[in-house]
This record gives sequence, structure tokens and C-alpha cells, in this order.
Amino acid sequence: MMTTTPILDIDKLNISFSTYGHKSHTLFDVSMTINEGERVALIGQSGSGKTVTMRTIIGTLPMPPATIESGSIKYKGKELLSLSKRERDGLKGAGISIILQDPLLSFNPVLTIGKQMDDIVRFADIRYGQNRSADARKKHIIETLAKVQLADGTQIMGSYPMMLSGGMRQRVLIAMALLNKPRLLIADEPGTALDVTTQQEILDLLNALVRDEGLSLLLITHNLGVVREMADRVYVMERGHIVETGTLEEVFSAPKHPYTIKLMEAVPPLYGSRVRDIENNADKNTEIKISNISKTFVRRGGLLNRPIGEVQAVKNVSLEINRGDIFGIAGESGSGKTTLAKMLLGLYGPTSGDIQFNGKSLNELRGTVEFRKLVQIVYQNPGSSLNPKRTIADQLAVPLHFTGYDKAQIKGRVAQLLDMVDLPAHYASMYPHELSGGQKQRVAIARALSVEPEILVLDEPTSALDVLVQNTVIELLHRLREELNLTYVFISHDLSLMRNFCNKIAVMFRGEMCELGATKDVFANPQHNYTQALISSIPVISAEEENLKPKLTKQERAAVLATSTALGK
Amino acid sequence: MFYYLLKRAASLFLVLVGLAILIFVIARIVPGDPARIALGPLASAEQVAQMREQMGLDLPFHTQLWNYLVGLTHGDFGKSLLTSRPVSADIMQALPATLELVLFTIVIQIVLSIPLGVLAAIYRDTWVDNVSRIISLIGVVTPGFVLAIILQLMASYVFTFFPVTGRLDGGLDFSADVTGLLLIDSILAGRPDVFGDAFMHLILPATALAAAGIGQVMRITRSSMIELSGRDFVEASRAYGVPERVVTFKYMLRLACVAPLTILGLEFASLIGNAFIVEFVFSWPGIASYGVRTILQKDLNAVIGVVLVSGLFFVIANLVIDILLGILDPRHRLREGASK
Repeated sequence: MMTTTPILDIDKLNISFSTYGHKSHTLFDVSMTINEGERVALIGQSGSGKTVTMRTIIGTLPMPPATIESGSIKYKGKELLSLSKRERDGLKGAGISIILQDPLLSFNPVLTIGKQMDDIVRFADIRYGQNRSADARKKHIIETLAKVQLADGTQIMGSYPMMLSGGMRQRVLIAMALLNKPRLLIADEPGTALDVTTQQEILDLLNALVRDEGLSLLLITHNLGVVREMADRVYVMERGHIVETGTLEEVFSAPKHPYTIKLMEAVPPLYGSRVRDIENNADKNTEIKISNISKTFVRRGGLLNRPIGEVQAVKNVSLEINRGDIFGIAGESGSGKTTLAKMLLGLYGPTSGDIQFNGKSLNELRGTVEFRKLVQIVYQNPGSSLNPKRTIADQLAVPLHFTGYDKAQIKGRVAQLLDMVDLPAHYASMYPHELSGGQKQRVAIARALSVEPEILVLDEPTSALDVLVQNTVIELLHRLREELNLTYVFISHDLSLMRNFCNKIAVMFRGEMCELGATKDVFANPQHNYTQALISSIPVISAEEENLKPKLTKQERAAVLATSTALGK
Repeated sequence: MFYYLLKRAASLFLVLVGLAILIFVIARIVPGDPARIALGPLASAEQVAQMREQMGLDLPFHTQLWNYLVGLTHGDFGKSLLTSRPVSADIMQALPATLELVLFTIVIQIVLSIPLGVLAAIYRDTWVDNVSRIISLIGVVTPGFVLAIILQLMASYVFTFFPVTGRLDGGLDFSADVTGLLLIDSILAGRPDVFGDAFMHLILPATALAAAGIGQVMRITRSSMIELSGRDFVEASRAYGVPERVVTFKYMLRLACVAPLTILGLEFASLIGNAFIVEFVFSWPGIASYGVRTILQKDLNAVIGVVLVSGLFFVIANLVIDILLGILDPRHRLREGASK
């Protein structure tokens, strides 16, 4: 299938952006080739220039503010940068097509799927002088939906995007990209917005499509595990420069550039010698005791807002967390892990069951200053959990005000807190937007620690961060736990991170706890089918790890996972 | 969709009942005896007592309220002290003029502000954008009555082809009795001369009324369009080869109309309020001038009637907007329906 005729050839591309009279160079002499039938990955962290490259290829780079300084992009030997607007537009979707990252935001929310797909076909028809009837177009759309294994074409066409599940939307999005039979498909972080088991399905689907339709693929991602499953050749990009290139084999087994090496090392391993086992060396007294806890949400609706149904988010969960534990609660979206965390924080009251902290029931503790000083939370996205209009010092002072510190004490405490999370003291007077993502998350951690809690609930604290930054935050958390004798409850869907961060782990599945044990044991020998499916879906970066993953038969997988190919309910 | 409408209509009804009770209570609380005012300072105590009985003012308060609400159900607003005619008849006579003015104002607002907002967004940071910014600023900061007076002065001395007062030239013999709206009735009757004249009469007061809203709605349309142009689905449509004009005028404009429409619904209240003043300046024979006269005369039945009718139109306008939003953005009604 693979030939050496290039379908896309980028040569010494230089791009700059000018905003408010200030000019910044974004891409430096970027050269890249994709051959017919080849799968190429472009790897880099956010801000490295991946997205600019992608937009330049597809032709949606906004100019101004962007300017192409020099270079060339050839598609099948034709120079794209000097093409007339008409010819250029003609290639969009028909020669080169794209699958954008977010399967919800990539749809027009107010039009049905069918209408959106029909528009794409109709305008291409007009451009190429084809004259298909509405029925013929519909037939073509249903055929394309069938290619992404969606059989209910007619029904899907009548749906609005919000009515489909995440996995289905991702499939429809792929079908949309394929409608006008492109030869080069660009995939921007495919499946990363989805749960890992659904992501696995999508990656398999894309691989099959590329193979069967003879497409070329440009994969844009920061997830090295995905690259290993999807690419033949790799380009590594750092701050607008291509710093390393080679076949997948070459780059992954013997990375040469320091940046590539750093990226590879930052990926938390799932199995093998690099895995870090965490032990709890503290006194191991039971700190949190959850007994038979359940939470039921009542859905309301209708004319008088009557209760019309219930959803059991958490069912009969019992577990004990010891002082000094890093206790991981793993699960996919909708598994009940966040509800469980909110009950720990006293934000939701349990429908039945009880939580005890050091022998005291949550019912007594809720709302007291004592409880606030006991449990604190660090949220997922520091960009939205910090108030953009207040300085760092102001934000750190808020919890202190409510727990009996006076003005003089607060100032000293703020300086102390910043020092604790390795931020310079002058950051106190800065605003969140002046800080990087990692620094913001440090502030959020400092804020949670300000009242000297014993327990920190960490709700995916690193999932909004780049992998290199993630590691520095994890190191910080380790250090703070040692120094302050903390207990962590770590909520996440990222199992490879949890393998290296938690000493105990519970896996949530449809509201129930299906697996509980020391992290080491759970990964070495997962008991529940769902845990096995979850672990085996994680994209890893070496063949060694791949071989150590639990093996499931198709039937076992299907028993615990609903596929995203059919309309639910 | 039906379910969505039913829910909206039910809340409309409740709002109106609440408004009727509230305004009735307020009218009874304000000091001053309506019977005394109606009869004048020279009437004797017996005459006033007789009048009170006649007007039902001697009954217990809740009975008065009940009788009034029952009356409302068959369109009886009571009798006006000022004109000694049923309030409903007075309102029916004055209402069409105001309705015509307000509707015409809204049409001007939509026709001018949304396209200007779109233009300002497409050519943002160019002179087009700057001009539109200045126009909207002037519109927002100038109070309606100031603009009304300025326009009237200009029409008197410079643009003398614009009539300065009233709805229709005295020389024209025409009675609008189908809908009460001159523009529509004149078309129905095949009278282009009346249509033209009524149209010219409408322009100045409607411009004075529309100015503030135009500025606001234009800016909101502009920022909605700019915000939308950065959305993923817009980029996706472009990347799939959907022509730019379709992306702008079909995909983006539809969503960009949501915010301006919501604002227009809220604007409607201040439009009615401003109409009171603008009608006064242009001697427009509408419900506003009627309302002002009745308030000054403490003609309670008439005041309550005017407030209720204004309230009714405010609520209806917002219902219409809700329906439009439900059509423009199906998520509005799907969310309601999803809980079914």
C-alpha cells in the first residue's frame, strides 16, 4: 500500500503572527513529508506550533494576524500557497480533510447531523459541477456513516449533536471528514476527549479506515501512546522547530534529541522497570471510613417539576482510607467517582450510609470550621478554579479569613504557602493570567493547604496540564505529603498516572466499586473484567508494556463495555 | 415543541394574574379617595358616600379584588372616571396607535441593528466597525425624549417634508377599523396615499424610540459573531469546504441572533416606558398619552387597565421571543423536552 510518492510536501515553512504591532515568529523552517498511504505523527506540547501547522495545511489559518513568511506546501506536487482561492477551497474536505479534537464543539449545535452532512456534500457537488438529488446525497451520507460502523444512518441524520454519546459523535465526525473522499486525513488529538475504552475503539476504527481506503494520515497529538498505535513515521516539534524525525521504531526505541527523550521519560509507565511503587510509611490508622454509602439523584421535569425518575450515581460503596494513603478512585465518566468525592467533601449528603473521619460521622462534621480544616480539594482546571479578577495573595487569604486568622498572620501565611509550593514570594501580587498552567495549579494546591488540612481530595489535578508539567506537580504533591503528613484521595481516569502515584486504588464501574486493592496487585492481577478492559485500553509507548497488559477476549470486553455504534436507551 | 409552548403559555397566564393582583393592591393603597376626586371638592359627604357605594368602594377589600378579577375574565376593566366610558373602550381606541408605533420601532431595530452588527464583525477594526461603534454610542447615550425633541426641531426647520405631530394628516379621510394599524388597513383598503402619509408620520417617533436599542443590539450582534467565528464547528465547516458566505450567513448568523433577540424581549419594557414620553412629544394619540392623563387624574380603573395591557404585551412579546429562540436554537426546547 505504501509508496514513496509524497502526497504532502512541506518545505522550510516560516510563519509569524502579529498582534497589536508586535510580531512573533511561530514556525521556523518546518519541513515535513507525508507519502501516499503513510501514517505520520506530529508530536509536541501545547504551544509548540502543531495547530498552526495543521491550519496552514488545511487552509483555515486566519491571515491576518498570521503571515506566511516563506516556504512551500505541495499537495500532490501542486503548490498550495499560490493556488487561487477557488482551487484552494476545492481541496478542502475533498483533497485534504480534518477531524478536529472535540467531538461536541466540532458540530453546529443548532442543525441536525443530517443537515450538516448534507451541506458538506451539496457545496462540494456545486463546486465540482455534480448534480446529485437530495435522495442520492442522503444515500451517500448513510453509506459513509456505515463506514464508521454506524448502522442507524437515517435516525442519526435526524438527531441533533447533543443527543448522541461522545463516542458516536466522534464517529460521525470521522464520517463528516470522509464525505467528500479526501486522500489526506488530518486527525487532531483523535479520541483524547473521550474515555479510554472509547478512545481505543476510535483508534482501531481510524486505523482500519486508513488501511481500507488507502488514505494518508497526519496525526497531531501530544499522547505518545496514541502515536505508537497509529503512526509509521514521527516528527517531533518544539517551539516551532522540527527537532527530530524518523520512523516510529527509530524515535521510540532510541530518541536522540533531548526534548524527545524528556517527553518519552515523562510518560508514566504502566508496566516494566520504570514503574514507581508507592508505599505508605505513615502510622496507617484508619482516617476515612466509608460504610455502605449510596447516592440517588432524582430527575425532575414535566409541568410541575415532578420527580420523573432516579439515577443511582453511587451504589453501596464501602472502603477505608488510612492516614498517609494516596488513595486512587479510578473510573470513566459517569462511573460515580466525582459524586463519591463530593460526598467526601460534604458537598452532597449521602442518600444512605455514612462516612466517618477519625471516628466522627460526617453528619456531625458538615458545615463546621473543624471539617473545613480537615478536608480540602484541588480542582481539575486551575484556569477556572482560580478567580481571574483577584491577586494570588487575595485568593490564598480567603480560606484563612474563615478559619480565624487575623490580618497580620495572613500576610505571613501567604508567603509561607507560596514558598511551600516553590513559587517566588513576589507572585503574591500577580493575577492568575500572568501564571502558566502549572504555576496556577501550584497556587490552587497552596490554597487548599492554607488551612492545614489533613486530607486533600485531588480531582484530576494534572489532566489539564502538559505531560512535562504534570510530572513537576506530581513531584510537588509527593514532597508535600511527606512534609505535612497528608492523606490524598486522587480522582482520575488516567490509570497509568495512578499506577505511579497511588498506593491503593479503587475502580468504579456504573456506580459500584468493582475492584479494590494495593495498586501493585490490581495492575499485576486485575480481577474484574472491567478493570482488565480499562487497563488494556490504555495506549502505551513500548512493546514490553503492551505484552504485559491483561488480555481479554472480544466477548469479555463486550460484556462490560457498551460500544458507541448504536443509539442508546 | 407543543409541550414547550404549553409550559410557556401557562407561565404567561400566571404572570398576568399576579400582575393584576399586584397593581390592584397598589392602586388601593395610594392615598386619596377616588369617589371624592371623581365628584370634585364641592360635593357633599352624602354624595361621596353614594358614589362610593356605586363604585363598590364600600365593600371589603378582598371582595373588591374578586369582583375586579371576575370582571377581567370577560374583558371588563371597570369605568373610567375621566371619560365616563368603559376603560376597555378607551384602551381599544388608543391601543392600535401605540402598537403600530412600537411594532414599527422593533422592525427598524431589527432591520438596522443586526445587519450593521454583522458588518461590524466581518470588517472588525476597520472604519466600518468604528463608524458603527460611534452610531451605537450616540444611540445608547441619548435619552429618547431628547432625540425626539431634536428630531422634531429638525423636521420643523430643515426636513420640512416630515410631519411633526399626529398619526395622519387631517386632510385625509380614513378610518382604520380592521386591525386599527394604519399601515396594514390602508393596504387592505387599497389606499397608497394613506399608507405613505402614515409611514412618514411614523418615521420620526419610531427613530427616537429605536435609537437606544439599535446601539445595544448592534454591539451584541457584533460580539456574538466574533465569538462564533472562533468556534470549532465554524472552523470545521470551513475545513470541509462549506463556502464562507454560507458559514457566515447561515451557520453563524443564526446562532448570533440568539443574544440580540433575548435583549429585544427585555428592551420591550423600556420601549413601552419610552413610548409614554415620545408619544407626548409627537402628540401621538396612543395609549401612553391616555395613561399619562389618567395617572394625573388618579383615574384608578383606567391606570390599572393601561398597566395590565402593557403587561400583557410585554409578556406576549417575550413568549414570541421564546418561540423564536426555540426555533433558532433547538437546544432550548430539547432541554425542556428531554426531561419528559
